[in-house]
Amino acid sequence: MTENEFDKLWQQAEVEGYSQRLVAEYPGWRRKQQRTISMVAASLAVVVLVVLVLVAQLQQPQDFEKVYCNRVGTTDAQWASLAAEILME
Amino acid sequence: MKRLLVILMLLLPVAAMAQSELYKQYASQEDLAVAQVSGFKLNETVRVDVVLVVADNEAAWNRLKEELDIRGEEGVNSWLGELKQPVKRVKWNGKTLLRVIASHARRTVGFYRIDNEEQYDALLDYQLNKMKK
Repeated sequence: MTENEFDKLWQQAEVEGYSQRLVAEYPGWRRKQQRTISMVAASLAVVVLVVLVLVAQLQQPQDFEKVYCNRVGTTDAQWASLAAEILME
Repeated sequence: MKRLLVILMLLLPVAAMAQSELYKQYASQEDLAVAQVSGFKLNETVRVDVVLVVADNEAAWNRLKEELDIRGEEGVNSWLGELKQPVKRVKWNGKTLLRVIASHARRTVGFYRIDNEEQYDALLDYQLNKMKK
């Protein structure tokens, strides 16, 4: 049974009230359900990631937008501070 | 999860594109700590991109000094340099160039990218105003 065929059957089962039986008897149902859950989870993860990035940007101090660095150990704010200090020397 | 990884893989080149050629040029050298501060705020309306290069040791600093023709042993050296060749000193001509400031005490060189007269003026005002305080 293709997914389209199953979808039609599912709609019919919902109308006629035998969807529970279909869940119990159709072996592909679980896989279909898992695929749907995976897609929803992946979409949610992307949304959460975007929100986190936006929140992080909003929380950054306003005196710089973004810092790229080739080392760990120095914070973005420290680099921005150095950019200001060099100008004042 | 695979889709998420694919999205992250697609985003990585976008981040790399935001890094300037100047940053990439120095970031690959092991004895230099390099940072690009994008959108460094000069005043309420003007921002510039800055690349900072900090030498780990005297040898790295001497190499930088030779490369950028930085003379002297103390204080700071400051000049306007060409975008592609910061070592070339130029006068303000309205074209994109770099304000280069080298601090001997910090073994640090700052490259402030100036694209227009507004940024040029704002950078000077920033220096003057901060020094007055």
